Amino acid sequence: MEKKTARNFFIWGTVICTAIFIWLTIDTHKTIPERTNTDKLTDEVVAGKRVWHKYNCNGCHTILGIGVYYSPDVTKVYSKRGDIWLKEYLKNPESPDPKRRKMPNQNLSADEITKAIAFLQWVSEIDTNDWPPTPITVAKVTGAPLEETAMILKGKTVYTQNRCDLCHRIGGQGGVIGPDLSKVGTAKVPQWLSQIIKNPISVNPNTQMPAYPHLADDEVQALVSFLSGLK
Amino acid sequence: MTYESQKVAIKFFVISAIFFGLQTLLGLLLIIKYIWPDPIISILPFNTARAIHTNLLVVWMLYGFMGGTYYVIPEEAKTEIYSRKLADLHFWLLLIGGLVGVVGFLFGWTAGRPLLELPVELKWAVVVVALIFIFNVSMTIFRTKKWTAIQGLLLGGIVMLAAMWLFAIPFFKNLTLDYYYWWWVIHLWVEGAWELIAASLMAFILLKITGVERAIVEKWLYIELALVMITGVIGTGHHYYWIGTPEYWLWWGGIFSAMEPLPILLMVIDTLRHVKERKIEIKERLVLYWVVGGAIFHFIGAGVLGVAHTLPVVNRWTHGSQVTTSHGHTAFFGAYAMLILMVVYYALPKLKGLKQFNEARGFWVFWITVLGMALMGVGFGGAGIIQTYLQRILGIEFLTVQEFMKPWFMLVFFAGIGFTVGVVLYIIDVLKIATAKPE
Repeated sequence: MEKKTARNFFIWGTVICTAIFIWLTIDTHKTIPERTNTDKLTDEVVAGKRVWHKYNCNGCHTILGIGVYYSPDVTKVYSKRGDIWLKEYLKNPESPDPKRRKMPNQNLSADEITKAIAFLQWVSEIDTNDWPPTPITVAKVTGAPLEETAMILKGKTVYTQNRCDLCHRIGGQGGVIGPDLSKVGTAKVPQWLSQIIKNPISVNPNTQMPAYPHLADDEVQALVSFLSGLK
Repeated sequence: MTYESQKVAIKFFVISAIFFGLQTLLGLLLIIKYIWPDPIISILPFNTARAIHTNLLVVWMLYGFMGGTYYVIPEEAKTEIYSRKLADLHFWLLLIGGLVGVVGFLFGWTAGRPLLELPVELKWAVVVVALIFIFNVSMTIFRTKKWTAIQGLLLGGIVMLAAMWLFAIPFFKNLTLDYYYWWWVIHLWVEGAWELIAASLMAFILLKITGVERAIVEKWLYIELALVMITGVIGTGHHYYWIGTPEYWLWWGGIFSAMEPLPILLMVIDTLRHVKERKIEIKERLVLYWVVGGAIFHFIGAGVLGVAHTLPVVNRWTHGSQVTTSHGHTAFFGAYAMLILMVVYYALPKLKGLKQFNEARGFWVFWITVLGMALMGVGFGGAGIIQTYLQRILGIEFLTVQEFMKPWFMLVFFAGIGFTVGVVLYIIDVLKIATAKPE
């Protein structure tokens, strides 16, 4: 082959492949409205995308499998976890379990949380050719961190907000005045737990633990589900 | 060195080396955050550290390419650089822009798009830098009497690099389209524009050190780059499997990206053949190591590890896992980092008028960084395979799986410490040569 032939091969190869690529791009654009539900791409969703960018969420998480692999993929987080879970989690993402990788609290406003969730909901409905794939089998791992339901998350928030950690420890973190709660779920039943939270003296007359009568019933319930899960 | 103005490349090489060092340090910090609890999470969280790590990579490589271009273009065009002042100007603009970017990240000033975190104002500043650079290089080339393939393709690569960057600037409302055009920057840079630049620089050095005829070197350069463009442009489709784009991309992307190792294999063959059929004795032993080592590492990191997970049947399971990290690190190192070090070890002693310099430290840099990066590739790869199997196939929860990956992250950590030592030696070498007195 002559150098001139090689040059023409380069020029025409580039031109033809670029042309095909642009043609595919134009065709792709035509499919976007249906595949990504652009009719549901509201201003709120766009505002949620801006929240996503503002806090550089993509710098730890992947979305559509793209981004950084430090934290879980969020493509389907809405359909998997739901609205209530996300609201609770974004309010207080810091896990009291020090063994787990930690997400710093971004101190999102309630408005930002609503928008971010709208964005994640829209993303979860994108037609991704069935990615992520359904696992072939689902394995159970013993000693795995507890499954965080919305209720448990809320309980975690109650635990943090009421500073239970000043006296109690979970996984080595917290105070030493009260008993270690790392495995409290194996030792105590839920009724006992809710009783001691509402009225500690009725369970143990010598306890130093203060009562928490201001907690609403659903807060106590959430806290109890959180504690019961610690095994 | 034949032209006085080539000397402008020196400071580009020095800054490039220093930023390489900073990038490596940030990398060490990131892997530490993977393994141990993070005491500085509120000062420098993972996402900020990672943005600095990757943006420093881009900046040091751009400095390397610019320095290389300013060394090569005068000798190819047989004329002085059009304006040394303009070269100085965009050198400082990029430096200031880069530093403002890094400091901005620390204060949360970010566009929040991975790898393209620079805020929009700074992205426009990069456009200005690119335009000055392209103008300066073009004006130099237009003075030439004989248009060579090397300078033409080099200029083509630079223009394509700048053109693709424009897609980094807008805000996209639709996440799918956001990523569609995100890849026009990321993929068409590393599997398009950067390949043009790198292969042209490589061809220039092969020409110089082996004495093989220009017609032969340039013919193969055209063929290599024809295959790069033919497979690489439509090969962008291997990023369009799962982002909301149509199913036909599984075919277009799968078939074309599966051919992407071909041009890289051809580069290895061409390099070895040119070296074998050399017309002159190769005096620059160290440069030869970077030339051949780079070609081979490029093939393994970008070609083999790329093709390993490019087919949809595999990528479906590995997408978004540490498998990509393994490929990303080894590919960038083999394709671009080793290439820039090759250019620097070739050009810098000549720019300083050194006929001989002690190559011993350079050989240490070569072996330490090559081994370090190979082990990091194995570490990330092992972590990625475990993640793919436990998380995707067995459905075990993300953070639980991360625990099982830790031994492999430890390997990355120790290999990374070694790698850092190599990079520090490189910086020492560059500073020593750059400040040496001419003989």
